[in-house]
Amino acid sequence: MSTELIRNFSIIAHIDHGKSTLADRIMEITGAVSDREKKDQLLDDMDIERERGITIKASAVTMNYEHGGKTYMLNLIDTPGHVDFHYEVSRALTACEGALLVVDATQGVQAQTVANAYLATESGAELIGVINKIDLPSAQPEITAEEIEHVLGIRKQDCFRISAKTGVGVRELLDAVVTLLPPPPDDGDKPTAALVFDCICDDYRGVICYVRVFAGSLSVKQKIRFMGVGRTHLITELGKFTPKMSPVDRLSAGEVGYVIANVRQLSDVTIGDTITDDSKPAEKPLPGYVPPMQMVFSDFYPGNNTDYPNLRLAFEKLALNDASFSFIPQNSPALGFGFRCGFLGLLHMEIVQERLERENDIDVVQTAPTVSYEVITTDGRTLKIDSPADLPDVTQIEELREPFVRLEVITGTDSIGGIMKLAESRRCKLLKTDYLSQNRVILEYKAPLAEIVYDFYDLLKGVSHGYATMDYEFTGFEVGDLVKINILVNKIQVDALSLIVHRSVAENRGRKMLVRLRKAIPRHQFEIPLQVAIGGKIIARESIKPFRKDVTAKLYGGDVTRKMKVLKRQREGKKRMKNIGSVQIPQEAFMSILDSSD
Amino acid sequence: MDNQKLDSEPCPSGRRTAGLYVHIPFCEAKCRYCGFYSEPIKNHAPERLVSAIIAELSEKRGQAPFPPNQTIYIGGGSPSCLPAEQLLRLIHEITSWHGLQARENTAKMAVLPPKPEEFTIEVNPGQVSKGILSRLRTAGVTRLSIGAQSFNPDELTFLGRRHSVADISRAVEVARQAGFENIGLDLIFAIPHSTLESWKYSLRSAIDLGVQHISAYALTYEEGTPLQKAVEAGEVEPVDEEIDRQMYETTIDELEKVGFKQYEISNFARPGFECKHNLNYWANKPYIGIGPAAGSYWQGKRTLNIADIKKYIEAVEQGTTVTDESEIPDNTQIACETAVLNLRRRCGIILDEFKNQTGFDAMKLFAEPIGRYRELGLIEATDGRLFLTRDALPIADSVLCDFSTT
Repeated sequence: MSTELIRNFSIIAHIDHGKSTLADRIMEITGAVSDREKKDQLLDDMDIERERGITIKASAVTMNYEHGGKTYMLNLIDTPGHVDFHYEVSRALTACEGALLVVDATQGVQAQTVANAYLATESGAELIGVINKIDLPSAQPEITAEEIEHVLGIRKQDCFRISAKTGVGVRELLDAVVTLLPPPPDDGDKPTAALVFDCICDDYRGVICYVRVFAGSLSVKQKIRFMGVGRTHLITELGKFTPKMSPVDRLSAGEVGYVIANVRQLSDVTIGDTITDDSKPAEKPLPGYVPPMQMVFSDFYPGNNTDYPNLRLAFEKLALNDASFSFIPQNSPALGFGFRCGFLGLLHMEIVQERLERENDIDVVQTAPTVSYEVITTDGRTLKIDSPADLPDVTQIEELREPFVRLEVITGTDSIGGIMKLAESRRCKLLKTDYLSQNRVILEYKAPLAEIVYDFYDLLKGVSHGYATMDYEFTGFEVGDLVKINILVNKIQVDALSLIVHRSVAENRGRKMLVRLRKAIPRHQFEIPLQVAIGGKIIARESIKPFRKDVTAKLYGGDVTRKMKVLKRQREGKKRMKNIGSVQIPQEAFMSILDSSD
Repeated sequence: MDNQKLDSEPCPSGRRTAGLYVHIPFCEAKCRYCGFYSEPIKNHAPERLVSAIIAELSEKRGQAPFPPNQTIYIGGGSPSCLPAEQLLRLIHEITSWHGLQARENTAKMAVLPPKPEEFTIEVNPGQVSKGILSRLRTAGVTRLSIGAQSFNPDELTFLGRRHSVADISRAVEVARQAGFENIGLDLIFAIPHSTLESWKYSLRSAIDLGVQHISAYALTYEEGTPLQKAVEAGEVEPVDEEIDRQMYETTIDELEKVGFKQYEISNFARPGFECKHNLNYWANKPYIGIGPAAGSYWQGKRTLNIADIKKYIEAVEQGTTVTDESEIPDNTQIACETAVLNLRRRCGIILDEFKNQTGFDAMKLFAEPIGRYRELGLIEATDGRLFLTRDALPIADSVLCDFSTT
């Protein structure tokens, strides 16, 4: 079957620029969803996705479109639009030949517009520029077109002006998808090679692989081999998303769909792997992916030690549908048994946290998110450490390296001063300034990841009145003059409160940490000394005084029920805390140490 | 477990008994700090409420088995603001058995209940005369609890009290003349603008009046009271925690010096003059409460009556239930409640009694907090008792919360 009538494309955009609305409109126009079935932004499956208005997993839809008397098969792959999920975006793009780059006409080009455009270009996808939300009174399509041309090289007269909400211009856009985007290569006769660009685990059907067939074909009952993993399976079901799962007998070259082949667990599949025919396999696997790099780590401990097995089960459940989330058992002398978890970034971490809380009934205490460091030891080994607690003794460290990123900030020119000051205070080095237009600028920085991974984004928004956007990309580990700050609570060193910082700010940060801790740790029945130590030397002290009065004056007959409730609540309050010796440390305390504001 | 056992206490004559509490929610005017339910008496017809309370009592007595009442306590509000006739009418109903049951079921012949061991009534200084007190004494009241609060006029004004300092000593004097030998005073400390000295003065004055019982309560800022609102508005500042603490410690020291024994967190008495009715609460034994907003713990159920005079009367007159809230604690909850209440007593949990009453071994059930608090010197276990140490008393809630569940 010829691939001439197939078009595979993604929609890429900055958050809230209208990518999901456009996907809805396209599905409506092509009849993929009838009015009755339409739920706004259909593709965002998970509750959290819908609630936060973001897309987490890639999803795919196959649609039919009439053009010039012929019926075309359009395969649309939805992508996430946040800095944490570059990896997911590039996977989806590799399954496509083209992409619609959508820019909000009231916002203009933003940080992820640029980042996603680069990703698309890298993957070889053909770009069509789309200016959206032209229906809004504040829309400035001409200026937006200028920006697109200036930053991304797409000619302004080639950009399509649409409103995904009202539908204006969308049909013309679909025509452009047919006429401007290339069809997939016609490799139906070659040995079968299909790319697994995503997968999910379904309770009943097991692992469902999302595939793009590049060569040959896939059929039901076919014996296939996953080339990277080396395992063979029998296809039990094959189909397309229309957007619901619709079984077919065959997926041909150029097509996108799903494969179910008795794969039990997600860990049996590698995203980016190639599926081929077992009896007539492809010579080489398709170019794969670089596995996602986890940038942010955090330790989770059950509030109650007996909940440890339940916590493990909860994480296993979460990891089922999230291949970029990982967890390994962790043991802290102060906090007991827990898990070290790895995330693509802060947003990823927040999403996992929310899912953990929502889907389980376990009290969890979480340590502040950290980045990983590279240590060159005196005996020549290179260690990657994900937690300050794992840092070897200072006498054994030859070199300590921290991760750096290339940070791009897009902002209005009136906020430049505030942003530069913020960036400077975080050891960022300005590399380039580029004007998008008269009023907007891209600032490119070299930044230590540790300095921007926590509250930088929020501060950036604050300093720019909400308008600045940012994107970053890991560039490598570099040597820094770094030291480890240790905190002692009631004379016990608490690893979970340790932090690695640049020597120039160490003392200042240490004192701030103490002040935060003093406020975050509640008063106890006894006095609690707090100390901060750098390199074995105590450099500052604080003390939490005990409370002196906590007793109900009157407790008579009719007061009992009410009073018992109050006492129980007092006890519950102690649960979301971790016991360090006899000191109870609440969740907020662990997070507070990262707050370096004044 | 024998549920019968939980219903009431065997009294010396071998009969099972339970305390009786009567709530009179009337006051002349509301004090600034009061969080209890009460309404101005001038807005209501007291006879109607008293009739309703009597009716509730009769109704309950009609439901066998109604236990004899070893202790009786009339509280409020201000019972002493009731017209004398109404108060005496109520007391008469309580102390005699007039129920239909006596006439109808001669087979289930109701026996006149044994005389209560203790019959307390709360009174306000300035609302009692020798005349009324004599009649109360004759009617069977054995103990008076006088709401003195403070011997400093400024503090009385601050609290919104309607009596003078002189009214207090006058009340004690006429009480003695009327034949009362068991008199208690209620006092409040940690009043804004008070000092350790002003508190010591109140304490001293109370001691000098020769009363047998003193309750000393730290001022509590209850939700919704004018006092709490004043705090929220920044008009009033609560006493510093450290001074509050000192006042409490001083209370224990001064009273013990002159022969009062602290038997509960806020209660002090000369030996033999502890309030038996309240001891019942802290032993988590059953009692029956009647009147609006009154609480009961009877037949395994904790209930609260409707906290509204009008609705309460309507319910009684229409024959619908006066119970507003009700809870049946399970065995573990009973054990926790018993532990928390017991531990408010200086004698603490008496381990054998606890086992008999709840079926649990307290040392095992609460092993974790006991271990922890022993280390911190806040709990001790000796002589078959588990009790809070002196150091723990001022911060008792922070310890007791760990006994509120398991």
